Amino acid sequence: MLELRGINKRFPGVQALDDVGIAFAPGEIHALVGENGAGKSTLIKIITGIYRPDAGEVLFEGAPLRFRSYRDSLERGIDIVSQEIQVIPESTIAENLMLDKLITRGRTGIIDWPAIHRTARRYLDMVGLPLPPDTVIKRLSAAHKQLVQIAKALAAEARVLLLDEPTSSLTEHEARNLFGLLRGLRDKGVTIIFVSHKFEEVFALCDKVSVLRDGRLVGTRRIDGLTRAELVTMMIGRDVTQAHMGRLDAEAGREMLRAEDVVRKGKVESASFTLREGEILGFYGLVGAGRTELARVLIGEDRLDGGAIHVRGKKARIRNVADSLERYRIGYVTENRKEEGLLLESPVRTNVTISVWPRLVRKLTRYISRTRELGITRDMIRDLSIRVTGPEQRTEDLSGGNQQKICISKWLAADCDILIVDEPTVGVDIGAKEQIHQILWDLARHRKKAIILISSDMPEIIRVASRILVFKDRRIAGEIAGVDDGTKTYAEVSAAIGRYLN
Amino acid sequence: MTPNEPRPEAPPPACRPTGDRRERISGRTLGLIISTAALFALLALLSQSFLSGYTMFVISRQMAFYVLIALSQAFVLVIGQMSLAVGAIGSITTIVLGLGLDTWGLPPVLAVVMALGVGVFAGWLNGALITRLKIDSFIVTLSMMFIYMGLRSGISGGSPYKVPEAFTFIGQKSLFGVPYVFLLVLALLGGAGYMYRNTVFGRRMLATGGNAAAARLSGIATDRMVVWAHILSGAFAALAAVLWASKLGSAAPETGDDWLIISFAVAIIGGTGLNGGIISALGVLMGSAIFMLIKHGLVEVKANPYYANSFLGLLILLAIVVDRVREIYSDKQKEK
Repeated sequence: MLELRGINKRFPGVQALDDVGIAFAPGEIHALVGENGAGKSTLIKIITGIYRPDAGEVLFEGAPLRFRSYRDSLERGIDIVSQEIQVIPESTIAENLMLDKLITRGRTGIIDWPAIHRTARRYLDMVGLPLPPDTVIKRLSAAHKQLVQIAKALAAEARVLLLDEPTSSLTEHEARNLFGLLRGLRDKGVTIIFVSHKFEEVFALCDKVSVLRDGRLVGTRRIDGLTRAELVTMMIGRDVTQAHMGRLDAEAGREMLRAEDVVRKGKVESASFTLREGEILGFYGLVGAGRTELARVLIGEDRLDGGAIHVRGKKARIRNVADSLERYRIGYVTENRKEEGLLLESPVRTNVTISVWPRLVRKLTRYISRTRELGITRDMIRDLSIRVTGPEQRTEDLSGGNQQKICISKWLAADCDILIVDEPTVGVDIGAKEQIHQILWDLARHRKKAIILISSDMPEIIRVASRILVFKDRRIAGEIAGVDDGTKTYAEVSAAIGRYLN
Repeated sequence: MTPNEPRPEAPPPACRPTGDRRERISGRTLGLIISTAALFALLALLSQSFLSGYTMFVISRQMAFYVLIALSQAFVLVIGQMSLAVGAIGSITTIVLGLGLDTWGLPPVLAVVMALGVGVFAGWLNGALITRLKIDSFIVTLSMMFIYMGLRSGISGGSPYKVPEAFTFIGQKSLFGVPYVFLLVLALLGGAGYMYRNTVFGRRMLATGGNAAAARLSGIATDRMVVWAHILSGAFAALAAVLWASKLGSAAPETGDDWLIISFAVAIIGGTGLNGGIISALGVLMGSAIFMLIKHGLVEVKANPYYANSFLGLLILLAIVVDRVREIYSDKQKEK
């Protein structure tokens, strides 16, 4: 039994946790949900000993826990699988799993590799990862790395398992497999704390749910008898709709982008589609199905191996991102905003204006106009309602949703009228997610932008896109038109997507 | 911390530098200025001759060279790489200058242009190898360092070249007691500071160093930025070498032998970020002043010169420790 009692934690300017008390029982999968900033991460860090509470205590089997470090918590059998992947890229799967318990031959200190590989194999089978244990981690996909991390927690035989968004990069199949595994652990008496943004998962997997809002515990409820709407209301204090954002009427729009049999060797096979102004074209599919890979060819980041790309009716030769931006005005919001999207250490203003600096320059002095730079930044902060203390705030200090809005604003500042937006709401809370959907829809509807929305979030794509291309095995497997015209229900569209996937 | 959890809405920490934050003077630079002033005052108290015009002349001229050498390294550090070839480029430049002036008897202007051209070419070659072949800057510049040093010894045979009297003007003369070299370097340093703060070129360099992938996906031709950074580095190393020959009154093959350490030391003390994206022109100036004053101070207190390098090593370590402490402190502030 892991119990939190009266936990308080204050950061400068904010009460991160206010008198939070939750009991996590053995043999139970306990979901921890809440919007970003609700205090989930702080709570996890208190449980694992990374932070110390200002008041209150963490009891483990009746005795107060006073962890001095993360390692302490590991030794007591509390393990964490975090969303940020923590594996050693240059080592093998087996080494990562067995890092702190390498099997040696007797007392010689010589490592017994066959034994290690056998043990590792067992845990890999448990998580359903069909790879040899001596595969080097850096060759794995993000999903497989995540599975390795989960296998590592299993290998540690943790009694409390903390999973922080464990399915963020898993395919549905892998996620289902993981859920089976977690249920098995639950039945063996392991306490599982499951942090997630995805309601489907919470309802499918968990026994109990605790909801945090603004650092306070809204309540702990059994999943049985709880409705989705009730949970949403608990989380954000109001209702959210699932209906489509509204009709876009893009059929008559001018053709903005046309791909003809685009090939990228080993990544995309013969993809053809047309994108019109005022349209939101959804690219749905699993990670690695060819969606992002196609986008990277379209913006010139990866080479076009075959086929042709036409922009605004003319054949285009896009050699690099600078080309796609300056000559064709195509903007790409990466799926990976921290690694590829933002200069985290720089102020907001730098990230908003980075692609338009040449336009802000005064002729003679080559001076980037400070006034215009701040002006653009303020406009974007206002237009996209980005929550910042000002244009000079460090970008790293913003929440995921606000960082994402900055990634989008960069291309708006550059007047891009073709926008490719890759997984825009990963790691973003519900409130910000809705705002981002609204921003994208408004851009298409009112400013006639042509938008490609890449997403593996089915509700998102059905709600926002006007037409959906389904990607499977590096090809476009099918197209669903008229998603926005009100003739199809959510269930019909999702069934159609399902058909193309199988 | 999971990426989607916002930091508690703390006010932005003042002491952590952002790559291109437009604070007038960051806390770090202020610290450097105070340290410089303190050292200066201490030396003025310790030694009667310190405040003399001659000492000031010597010190400011030497500082100017440190600034040039540090900038040569800093241009590359800013984009997140390093150059081990800084001194070797200076050395090969000196040889070419000597060949031009002495062996071939070219007019000084032509010889200088040729020498600077060698520096630019060497820098370009580094950048081109790094970007075209996707090799690490460490490996490329390490190899080039050895190649140039070998060429240097092979061509010169170790003996210095003579330079004409007229050529020594800029390196040995002064304007109202301020060495021309110092004035020139101040102007260049100001130019570099302006470039990084205010121009597209400079800010794109900072962005490349801050996060190369993000910069590239924002439409910045990062490879071109890398090549330019190395060209600037080579050009400044070559300029330092030419001025050094002018100061010495001969083109000495051993020029550049101690530059590698100096270039890192002054750049780091001056607050240039080792991971790229951060530079302060004023910081580099103060870094060179501190470096110079400590060197001078060691002579002044008659420290055994054989140990001098140990002191400088300690100084670099100290500069990094101070930075690290500030960082930890500012993180602690956030967590509390």
